[in-house]
Parts: sequence; structure tokens; C-alpha cells
Amino acid sequence: MMGDACNCEGCEERIQPYVDRELTAEEVVLVEAHLAGCSYCRQCYEFEATLRRVVKRVLGEPMPPQLKAKLVALRTPLV
Amino acid sequence: MACGLHSFTRPSARLGRVSNATPESTPRQVAEDARARVRFEEEALELSDQVYRVARRLVRTPEEAEDLVQDTYARAFRSWRQYQPGTNLRAWLLRILTNLNIDRGRRDQRAPDMQSLEQGDYYLYDRLSAQDGQGNLDEERVVERLSQDTIVDALAAVPHNFRDVIVLVDIGEFSYQDAAQILDVPVGTVMSRLHRGRRILKQQLADTVGAE
Repeated sequence: MMGDACNCEGCEERIQPYVDRELTAEEVVLVEAHLAGCSYCRQCYEFEATLRRVVKRVLGEPMPPQLKAKLVALRTPLV
Repeated sequence: MACGLHSFTRPSARLGRVSNATPESTPRQVAEDARARVRFEEEALELSDQVYRVARRLVRTPEEAEDLVQDTYARAFRSWRQYQPGTNLRAWLLRILTNLNIDRGRRDQRAPDMQSLEQGDYYLYDRLSAQDGQGNLDEERVVERLSQDTIVDALAAVPHNFRDVIVLVDIGEFSYQDAAQILDVPVGTVMSRLHRGRRILKQQLADTVGAE
């Protein structure tokens, strides 16, 4: 199937929760069996996982250091 | 599954807790209460960077994110007794944060009319790999093709109901179940919004790279 669109029913829908590790053990077996035999879906899966990492890396902006001090100042004073 | 989030919506669930110090409490009870509060505040502060990262992508500017996080912590510190120790504190804090954000109507409302153009899950992959002439797109290659600004703009263009779920799952790394409790929607709604939202996000990205 290399280079062709995949016709496997339900495959696209299962890839997302597979990347998110939200499938049951039985569903994981089904997806992995499919990925082992379908290079197009395997490459799409690898791309999805990569895209997820890239989005997290690019959009994960760290907290400004001064904000931590402001949050600490909100703590209840010890009496 | 952490069920501590329920305690935020149903404060009565905490009745009878030993940490409810009152003016009639013994000095020992007061001391125990203070220790529990200090522990709670320290644990919450340790999570502040993770809370900020999610907040930053739920609103438009860093200043709004800072305000939102400060208000979240102010409320959390006031309501600390409603948190059940041992449950998911990060999810509890995010529930406060998303509620505050919704109450204020501060969510970034930019939402172009693109739903009718929605493509399949593999649309972006097909587009990038066709332009590249190869099937394997490694991480560096993807980063190279999709700049930070492109990704930031693409996420901002996703309608907020879908974007909130993407931010919680992809940036906050919450499970579908936790995201459902934070947003107070069924898990099935989280799954469908995530699927649809990611499609819209990928279509935005594909349109950008296609226009180059």
C-alpha cells in the first residue's frame, strides 16, 4: 500500500487514541497488527506521533520566573 | 482514576475532615491544619510551570496567562480544603483555571470559517510527504517545515471548544478521562472534539505550507 491512501476501515480513527495511549490492550493488538502490514498507515502513525511531540515542544512556553514569586506571595501567611 | 475533581464541584463531600480548624479547635488541631495547608500550597506551587504552559495556550497573550494563573492559585489557596489529598492535584488546579477562563469569556475567540473544508486525518502528512518526495518525515524535518509561528497561529485558529481539549491532552498530557473531568463533559465529547480539533489544526498547517 506504500504511497496509496489507506482503505482500511477504522484505521484513521484508531491511530489518534493509539498515539495518545488510550486504546484497550485488545485494540492495541489490532492496530499494531495493521501497522506491521501497512506501510502507509505506519508512516502516517509515525508522522502523527512526531507532530504531537513538535506541537508540545513548540507550544510549551515555560513560566516567566517572576510569576513564581507572585504565586509564592499568594500563600497564606504563617502566624 | 482520580476522583478528586468531584470535591471541587461538591464541597459537601469533604464534611467531617479533621483539617477543618475552627476557633474552638485545640492547638493540636490548629497545628495539623496549618501543616496540611502548607503541604498543599507547596505541592500546588511545584506544579505551577505545568499549569502555566496550559494556561498560556488557552488565552491570547502571556499577560492574560499570568493573570489567569495568579487568580487560579489565589482561589486554590483559599479553597484548599476542597482538594482531596492523594488525588490528581494538577487536574484539580486546571479545573479551577478553565472555569475561571470560561467565566471571564477571555478565551481567544478567533475562529475562521473553515469547518466546511475539513479534510481527513492524513491530509497534512500527504501534503508534506508529497512536497518532500519521501515518506519519512523525521522530527527535525517537520520542525523545519512548520515554524513556531505557523503552529502558534494554527492552534489559535482552532475554535476554542476544540482547542481547549487539544491543549489539555497535547500540552498538558492529561488523559481523556482527566480532560473530561476538567471540562465537565463526557469522555466521548473529549474524543470527538480532539479528533475534530486536530483535523482543523492540521488543515490550518497544511494550508500554510501549501501556500509557500
